[in-house]
Parts: sequence; C-alpha cells; structure tokens
Amino acid sequence: MNWTDEELVARSRGGDLDSFNQLILRWERPIYALAYRVIGREEDARDVCQETFLRAFRGLPGFKGEAKFSSWLYRIALNLSRDWIRRQRRQPTVQLPEGADPSEVAAEQGPVESIEDLVSRRELSAVVEEAMALLPEEQRTAIVLKEYHGMTFQEIADLQGCPLSTVKTRLYQGLSVLRRHLEKNGRVPQLVKRV
Amino acid sequence: MSDTFQCGDNTALVSFLYDECEPGERATIEAHIALCPACAAEVAALQSARLQLASWTPPEADLGFAIVRPRAADSPRPRRLRPGAWFRQPIPAWAQAAAACLIFGAGLSLGVLRGTSLNTSSSAQRAATNGPGSPAAVTATDLTALEQRLRAEMAELRAAPASTTAAAPQVNNAQILAQVRALIDESEQRQQRELALRTAQVVREFDSQRRMDLARIENSFGQIEGLTGAEVREQRQMLNYLMRVSEQR
Repeated sequence: MNWTDEELVARSRGGDLDSFNQLILRWERPIYALAYRVIGREEDARDVCQETFLRAFRGLPGFKGEAKFSSWLYRIALNLSRDWIRRQRRQPTVQLPEGADPSEVAAEQGPVESIEDLVSRRELSAVVEEAMALLPEEQRTAIVLKEYHGMTFQEIADLQGCPLSTVKTRLYQGLSVLRRHLEKNGRVPQLVKRV
Repeated sequence: MSDTFQCGDNTALVSFLYDECEPGERATIEAHIALCPACAAEVAALQSARLQLASWTPPEADLGFAIVRPRAADSPRPRRLRPGAWFRQPIPAWAQAAAACLIFGAGLSLGVLRGTSLNTSSSAQRAATNGPGSPAAVTATDLTALEQRLRAEMAELRAAPASTTAAAPQVNNAQILAQVRALIDESEQRQQRELALRTAQVVREFDSQRRMDLARIENSFGQIEGLTGAEVREQRQMLNYLMRVSEQR
C-alpha cells in the first residue's frame, strides 16, 4: 500500500520504524541530489543525506506537520549543507559575493578546456557542475531548488529565509553567470548568436 | 502584481521565464518582448542556460539508509561470549563416532597383539631353557605333564559359562553402535533445524530486498517522469517563443 508522507510520519511518530524507513527510501535520492548539487562532493553529500534523516528521526516528536514533510527535510538538508560549506577550509569552493559582476569573475577564471572535446552528456554535465561551483551558495541553492526540485519562488523564499524578490534576483544572477561560463566554454546557444 | 513592465526589469523576466507571474503581467511582458530585441535575447539566453542545466546529474550513490531499532537502555547487556579452550569446545557427532571406533579398534588390536606376544614369549623362553640344539632333551614326563596341563585348561574353559566369553564383545559392539547412531541422528536433526532456520532467513531477506528494490524503482520512475515532463514543458515554451518571434519578424 502506498501511504502518503503525512500518514507515514504519523505512523513513525507512533514508533513504527518501517514507516520511517519508507520515508527514507522515498526521499533519500532527492535529498542526496540536493546535497550533492549544493556541496559538490559525493562522499560529503552522502554524509549530509544520512545526517538529515538522523536529525529528522530525532526531531519527529517536534514535527507538528505545519509544513510539508519534504519541505522540513529540505530545510534540514540545506542547513547541514550550509554548515558543511562553512566548516570546509581545506578546499574552499570559489565563492562569488552577491552583487559582484558575474562576467568579471567568470572572465578571471582563466583558460578552460575547449568545448570541441566536450561531446558527451557527461562532459557537458561536468561543465555545468563547474559553472555551478562558481556561484555563491545562495544563488546555487536557489537554482538547484528551482530547477531540480521544482519549488515555487515562495517555497524557496521560505527555505532560504529571504524575500521573494531576493529569490528572483538570485536566480537571475546565477543564470547569468552560468550563461557566461557556458559561452566561454563554447556552449553558446544558437539562439543567442542570431539575436 | 501590476500589469506594467519596465524594460530591463530582470526579476519580472525571471517570473516570466519560470511562468510564475500573473496572467496580466505575462501578457504585458510577452507584448514587450515581441517589440524589444534586448529583452527577447535576455529571456532566450536565460532559457538556454536552463536547458543546459538539465544535463547535470549527480553521480549514482549507494544509499539505502535505514534506521534500526536501538537496544533498550535498561535491558541487561548480553554477555559477550568468549570461545572456550579447545578441549571445552563441543565435539561434532561424526568425530565422536570416529573416536569410539578408533578406541574400539585399538583395544581389539591390543588384545590380539597381547595374545600373540604371550605365545611368542613362552616359546622363546622354552627354547632358551632347552637350548637351540636340544630337541631330544624333551622327555616323556615333560610331554605327559604338558598334556595334563592342557587338558586341565580345556576343562576350565568348558566349565566357564559360554555367555560370558562369547556375548560380551557383541554387547559392547551393539552399545557402541547404538550410541553412534544416536549421535548421528541428533546431529542430523540439529543440521536440519539449522537449515530450516537459514532458509527462512534467506527467504525473508530476499523478500525484504525485493520490496525495497520495487519501491526504489517506482521512485526512480516517478523522478524520471517528472524530469521528462519538465523538459518537455520547457522545450514547448521555447518553441512557442521561437514561433512568436519568427512570426513577428
């Protein structure tokens, strides 16, 4: 039988471990994908994913169901990812302060591999990943939540704790950096060349 | 949201891009884009960047997390069993049977050897007494005495109850065989019980794994369907936009 998230949460709160494990099974891939795209490292994304469910399990008694269970999970995962980024010192990701000119930062990245060699989907994926790593965490998270998790502007604003207009600005700036980075790598869309 | 749109309002363009603006605002932006090449190019460029994003997939990870029930804090901690000395370890039934057979065989051989050695030693003793080259020294008196002694021994043997001499080894053999059979039966029963338990466990684990795999596959299908739907929707929007732009030009 396919239980809804809310039903499984209620059963989990009653002490049914199997129900919570079903929730894990249902949500571990999206949470892992979110953590990976925000953090950019597979092993750490796994750790964040695991810790997310542990915290959710421990926090079940305090979860009143005011928000969707998935939103609650996303919030935990995002907080953990943000903590991980703050803690990370050895290999800091390239961070772009909000409001900085994306094109200048993108131009300072130096020569990059020619796009002629990047023919497969995997290689394109690597280029996109590289471009995403250029973004500040807030912009990257906004794009990830919008593009890969289909959230509304309002849901993203709630998760990020910022006004709706800020979410739109972050999306616009993030997409602009991506576009410039892809242009630099030869991934210029034909439509843009003709206009 | 107002229905007015100022050229270069990027947040409004983002709303338009993600189709999250009011219908009136959408119509206003569409009308503006139809006339403004800069805004049209901006929207198209952002849209193409979005299309590129679809190629970014996280690497496959072996997840399969599960919460397991913690041991109750007040329950007595199970005593950790340490392996005992080798001589305290339980001996398998087959080894016990083999040891019984070995002991029985060794006793039998010892008995046979003892009888042989007794005969050999008495002959040797007699030969030593008489000397190697003195068979003629045996007198008729000696022979008579030997005959009498042998007859007396035979009479003693006849007098002894036949059951005590002949049936004793058979009883011993039967007891040992019965013990061996009992041990083998016990071992077989234990193995059958163990096999049944293991089989049940394997079936349970297989069933559990199958259910988890099915749920995972179902989840993956859902995600793929969602992703495909989003891509189709985006491409449709892009095509509509292209059609509009080309018609206006």
